[in-house]
Parts: sequence; structure tokens; C-alpha cells
Amino acid sequence: MAENNNDFEEKANKAFSIERKEDYVVIAIAAITVILVFTGAIDGNFFSSLFIKY
Amino acid sequence: MGVAVDLADVKQWPKMLPGFLACLVFAWIGLQWDFYVIGQMRRGFTESTSILKPHLERGKPIKAYEEYVQNKEDGYKGALSLYQIGLEKVKPTPPFMLRKADYEYVAQTKQIPFKFKFGDLMNQFQFTYVAFLLLGGMIIRNTVGVPKFLQAGTVAARPIIKPGIIILGAYYMWSDVLRVGAIGIGLVIVFVMGLAAVISVWGKRAKADDGLMGLMSAGVGVCGVSAAVAVAPVVNAKPRDFFYAIGTLLLFGTICLFTFPYIGKAIGMSEPVYGAWVGTAILNTAQLVAAATWYGHDALLTANVVNVVRIGFIPMVVMWAIYYYVVKPARAEGIQGQKINVVQVIKEKFPLFILGFFIMVTMSEIGLFEAFQKDILGRDLVRIFMAIGFAGVGLNIAFEDLKKAGGAAFGIGFASAAIKAVFAAIVVMLIGTEAFRIK
Repeated sequence: MAENNNDFEEKANKAFSIERKEDYVVIAIAAITVILVFTGAIDGNFFSSLFIKY
Repeated sequence: MGVAVDLADVKQWPKMLPGFLACLVFAWIGLQWDFYVIGQMRRGFTESTSILKPHLERGKPIKAYEEYVQNKEDGYKGALSLYQIGLEKVKPTPPFMLRKADYEYVAQTKQIPFKFKFGDLMNQFQFTYVAFLLLGGMIIRNTVGVPKFLQAGTVAARPIIKPGIIILGAYYMWSDVLRVGAIGIGLVIVFVMGLAAVISVWGKRAKADDGLMGLMSAGVGVCGVSAAVAVAPVVNAKPRDFFYAIGTLLLFGTICLFTFPYIGKAIGMSEPVYGAWVGTAILNTAQLVAAATWYGHDALLTANVVNVVRIGFIPMVVMWAIYYYVVKPARAEGIQGQKINVVQVIKEKFPLFILGFFIMVTMSEIGLFEAFQKDILGRDLVRIFMAIGFAGVGLNIAFEDLKKAGGAAFGIGFASAAIKAVFAAIVVMLIGTEAFRIK
């Protein structure tokens, strides 16, 4: 049982370190997005161009 | 249940790709629904109503289609020239015009076409892309199921809400964040930290298991799954406790997610007040953001600030758990030397992505974004990120996970979270709209 708990503790710690790494990834995605908007690669028509219109 | 997958592990990407692509397609369908049904069909309803109104009320004849189009185009050209000479600040958008077939249907039958009525009805029921993706995802998951090869990717799609939270920062000024954040800190201390403490003490008195109640106090009090994961090693939680706690958190959050938007409307909450309420009462970032987005963009703006404050408190809850479940019992047994390393806890447990949000607010404050760029980031792209995340959230609401809620944690956790939600609703309504409005 104690061993099981240790395993689980390790897993919980690992899960948190995964969340930490996930934060780096999402910050990178946000940064790339901002750059695309600044450079004009994504403009005001981008969103509506994705959809079928009436 | 897939608490998290390692997005940074490139070797895992091929495994995640199919499910992630499925979420992208599902998100596009949800946004297309929103764009076409809630957006354009509802505009068709408004347009048809304005065409019929003068005729039905005053007997005015309905114009020929060509005249209708000409009037619209003239109006647009006029507004555009006012903008060009600087008399109008906002650039006009091209007018919405009915197609000839729809216009003639309205003119001949004096009725609004069904598709427009349907769009208006869906809007009245707030059945936006948020509801579409969450309900749709939940139905798919619990009926036909999600094939195993897609599961990792659907879990990987959930955190895509976070870049949305970060870039939403382009919409804020520091004065807004500090004003709403200051009230948010008050709410977090009273309701969130307060609840964490109440559950810990209640659990001790009820002689419930320390590990279980530590998880519940962190999870129910602060930030759902993330806080429970952060606290689990501190309180030596058993796997059974962990699944009970997470099950309870997910069940409570799911119920809130599908009921709060309607409760908010029923009791007449404004968008900013509703945002503050869900920011305080719902326990999981994804569910909270979904419930706020469901209600409206202003609700999301307020909820986001309160949420940022709330999850910023994760290290404090970990410190509380260390004190209450480790340091205090050790001292009671006469063992000295148990101390809390504050810097280490903050360094290890602080959710870093919040810093991205603060950077965006600072960039907005110093005027790096033009108004149109704020709209692209804070409206259009936020919706895309949120939709991908909500697709992942919906496809991961599995009834078998919710059934894992149980034991003492369920009673204490559920009751205290519900009481917190009721009191939080009363308090935020008393504080009022203006205090929570992001200008």
C-alpha cells in the first residue's frame, strides 16, 4: 500500500510538472499568435474568411 | 481520465495529432454554427422584422428588392464617406442584406422564414458555440464514444483555452485588472481560501481522511483539478481519494457549467456580475471560462481577471495544506524543524501562463495594440482558441468519471461548494455591475 502511495505521489508530481511544461507551450502559442497579428499575417478578415456565409 | 498530457513532449505529438485534428474540425463546426445560425440567421430575423414592421403596423407597402438593395448600399456609402472625412470614428461594416429569394418570401407571405426564426430561437436559448461544443462533445463521448486513437489528442486540446486567456489580455488596461483584481482578491480570500479552510476543519471534525479532505479543500476551494494535483503529494493522498475528489470537482463543475448561464439570466445578472460570480464559484478554469463565454464577452472579461487571481492563489493553498496537514500535526507530536519553504512552493506551483496574460495587459497599457488588433486578438482569435479547448472539454466529459465522485468527499465538497456559489452570487450582486465592468 505504501509503495502504491509512493507511486501515486510520483504520478501526481509528474502531472504537475507536465502542467508546468504545458504552460511553456501555451505561452509560445500565444506569442506566435501575437507576432502573426503584428505582422499582419492575421488580419481583420481572417476570422470571417474561415466560414461559409449566408 | 487524462488529467494532462505532455504537450511539450514532441515524441508524443504523432499520438496526439489525430485527436487534436478531430477537435479542430469539431471546433470549426461549432464556430460555423455560431457564425451562421446565431450570427447571420439571427440577423436575418432582425432584418425581416424591420422589413415587415412598417407594413404590418402602418400598412406601408414593402419595397421592391432592387430598391431595398439600393437603399442599403446608399446608406453604407454615406456612412463610409462620413468615416473617411473623420466625422465617424468607427469604420462602418457592409450592411447585412437578405437574399432575393428570402426577401421575396418575406414580402409575399408576410412571414419570417423558418431558418431566421430558428437562429433567433437558438440565440434566445443562448445555444452558442460554447453550448454546441460542450453538449455535443458530451453526447458524442457518452453515446458513440471517442475511439482510443483519438483520446490523447482530445485531452491535448483542452489546454488550448490557455493561449486564449493570455491573448485576451490585449483587451485590458492595468487599471481594470487592478480594480477588478482587488475585489477578486477579496472574493478569493473570503470564499475560496475561506472554503479551503472550512473544508479542512470540517473534514477533521468529521474524522474524514486527511488526504481526501486536503485534496477536496484545495480542489473545491481554489482551482479544481490543478490545485488537487498540486496538493496531492503534500497530503499523501491515496489514488482512491484523488479520484473521489476529482470526480466530485468535475461533477460539480459540469452541473454549474450547464445551469449557471440560465440561473444568471433568470435572476437578471449583468454580464460583469455574472463573470465575477462564475470566477468565484466554478472550480475549474476550463469550465469557468466556458460558462462565462456562454453568457457573453463582457462576462468572460471579468471572469478572466477573477480566475487569474484565483489560480494565482494555488501556491497559498499548497502552503495551507503543508501547514495544516504536515507542520501542525508534527508540532502537535512535538517534532520540530518542519518548515514551509515559501519561495520553493511559489516557484514550483505558480501557474506560469498567468505571466503571459500580465505581459499582454502591459503591452495593451503602453499602447502597442491598435484597436483593430485588440479586436482580432481579444474577440476573433480568443474564440478560435476557446472553441478548440471546449471541443476537448466536451469530448472528455465522461459519465464514468463523474460517477467516481463519492465517499465523504462528495457530501462535504459538494455541499460546501454549493453554499459558496449561493453566497458568492449574493455578494457579487450586492457589489454591483460597475465594480466588475472591464471598460
